[in-house]
Amino acid sequence: MRILKIVFSLLLLAFASSAMAQVKLTFWSHWAAEKIKRDYVEDAIRRFEAANPGVKIEAQWYEKTALYASLKTALRAGTAPDIFYAEPDQFEYMENGLLLDLSPVNWAAVEPWAKEIWSYKGKPYGMPLEAATVELYYNKKTLADLGVKVPSNLQLDAAGMTDLVKRARAKNITPMSIGVGDRPYPGAYLAHEALLKKLGVKEYDDLLKGKLSWSDTRVTDTLNVVRGWTAAGLLPTTFTTLKLGESHLYFHTNPGAATMLIGSWYPSRAFNPVDQGGQPKDFPLGIMKFPSIPGAVCNECRTLSVGGSYVANAATKHPKEAIAFLNSFANPAAAARWLENVLVQTGIKADYSKVGGPHAGYFKELGATSEGAKFYFGQPIQVMQGKPKEVFTQVFNNAFPAGTISVEDAVKQMNAAYK
Amino acid sequence: MVTARADRQPWGAIIAFLLPAFTVYTGLTAYPVLRTFWNSFHKVLPRSEEFLGLANYTALAQDDIFWRAVLNTFTWACISPLVEVGIALLLALALYARIPGARFFRVAWFTPVLMSYVVVGIVWAWMYNYDWGAVNALLRFLGLGNFVQAWIGDPKIALPSLIFVTSWMWAGFNMVVLLAALHSLPSEVIEAAELDNCGWGAKLWHIIIPLVKPTLLNLLVLSFIGKMKIFDLVWITTQGGPLWSTETVSTYVYKRAFEWTSFDLGYPSTIAAVWFVFVLAAVLTLTWLFRQRDKLEY
Repeated sequence: MRILKIVFSLLLLAFASSAMAQVKLTFWSHWAAEKIKRDYVEDAIRRFEAANPGVKIEAQWYEKTALYASLKTALRAGTAPDIFYAEPDQFEYMENGLLLDLSPVNWAAVEPWAKEIWSYKGKPYGMPLEAATVELYYNKKTLADLGVKVPSNLQLDAAGMTDLVKRARAKNITPMSIGVGDRPYPGAYLAHEALLKKLGVKEYDDLLKGKLSWSDTRVTDTLNVVRGWTAAGLLPTTFTTLKLGESHLYFHTNPGAATMLIGSWYPSRAFNPVDQGGQPKDFPLGIMKFPSIPGAVCNECRTLSVGGSYVANAATKHPKEAIAFLNSFANPAAAARWLENVLVQTGIKADYSKVGGPHAGYFKELGATSEGAKFYFGQPIQVMQGKPKEVFTQVFNNAFPAGTISVEDAVKQMNAAYK
Repeated sequence: MVTARADRQPWGAIIAFLLPAFTVYTGLTAYPVLRTFWNSFHKVLPRSEEFLGLANYTALAQDDIFWRAVLNTFTWACISPLVEVGIALLLALALYARIPGARFFRVAWFTPVLMSYVVVGIVWAWMYNYDWGAVNALLRFLGLGNFVQAWIGDPKIALPSLIFVTSWMWAGFNMVVLLAALHSLPSEVIEAAELDNCGWGAKLWHIIIPLVKPTLLNLLVLSFIGKMKIFDLVWITTQGGPLWSTETVSTYVYKRAFEWTSFDLGYPSTIAAVWFVFVLAAVLTLTWLFRQRDKLEY
């Protein structure tokens, strides 16, 4: 009996000491199919584990839709991971007290606007790793073949855009690749970037928050400009079913499109190797600004949104370690690694002029499109909630650009959604 | 003489046999249903529950997306059973009449039901692709380019396009069931009709269809119930779009539970509860309407 007691005590001691030595953090993330981002985060995990020998991070990778559904179930059941991927439109996490307050993080290393986007009742809850602008990428060779010259200020006017569409269609080339088959936002870029320019930051914000009527003539005039482009054949005939990944291939490989309107995270897919869906090595990628809108008060206005971020579960048993891991992103070196490897903007403060490597030229071009820009922070679906968000998605991501709903009906639907 | 001991019920055995089934039924069917009804009167958040009375039901009555989903689902559930059972009857009759290649056709027509809705959804999303899908390619090949459509991208035709897919998928299953019913028909009745010089059409209308009517009605009810719950195919192909033209009640429940920026399970539970009552009432009505008034004797 005594021997048994000793053996049992030793086992307990061994178990306890091993448990003390090893803290295991569970981590769920989107980007299963985005190798560049996944590589970056896996590298960050390795660096963190090396610097914190007692901590092990167990990562699981998902695609976004599956991740969100799993997280909702897991958070309700109290089985969610310690750290997980989130985007700032997920107010419900903060409203229900499911996220850990990240105040101890080194916020001095984070852009103030990015911190603000992730703040709720004065406390920050997310590490804003990815930030993105809406960019109009184009194929330099195709545009040259079409005889379209990009102005020195990188911004066509609305008529110039119509001309581009007509020239491309005349040569049986799709003017702009966008696909909304599996995402609730790419189709809406057209309307919201145009409306932001027309109204300026303040009134655009009022429009999204239901304080300005969608029947306002400035809104309908702008939507008519966009309708002019789509009616001239701007988008692929498969627009409504084309998936995001497919729309990239559609632009750079098969069948090829003149332009592509997409978040500036385009390179995280396009700069993959060709056999993993990346653009051809010698693809002549150019970037220009979204066209100016007639009578706009702010043609230099554009959307800047925080995308992929990481948050910590409020119910984690290891809050100190979870915060320490998130804090490991909040420094200039981590931001520089993100820029050089992922080639997408970040909410962490970084010196974009120092980005080196083979894609340094890309960043120079990307920076040029934002010179002198005024930003509106957040996409409409990050600002809207509930029914307006659902209606906006159905109308402006899909039906309106597809041409299956008129400007009048679109406006009517939006006004009704806010009632 | 019967002893008191032998007279007693064997409660131990009764409980032992009933308990497993009762536990499974209570835990996996009764409790979730009751809990859904309970939730429908509450706002259910991860760490709190607030009684709302009939507020969710009032909101649902004014929810135009819900009513759009009800209309779509009901349209689907009414049209699809008629189409698929109708086609299935024709196919079963063709096989019953031993058309050439009957064996091959029996397997070929039954195959779609062996595939999951996910696979069927992916395959038909390709088939319906505007540029290179088989449907439009065939139309162009036949010189019918004017009929080329964005089959699941146009709100006007997206729902009929998906209804066609379910009919294609399930006709084979219904065909097999009907074929079994046809083969079990009493040969003496058929032979008697033939001796009376009854033609093929009259034999079908006056003998075969009345005899397989119970099977036909069961298939219609089963198909109706299945379509009232349709989710997978819509989710894979259109996710309820464009403009809610293919939104079904199931996809809307899922969206409200998992995709809207809310953790509230109360409102989705209200939709589920209302729909449960609706489906139950519809099935009871159909069963009552289709009940066999006259017993067939042969």
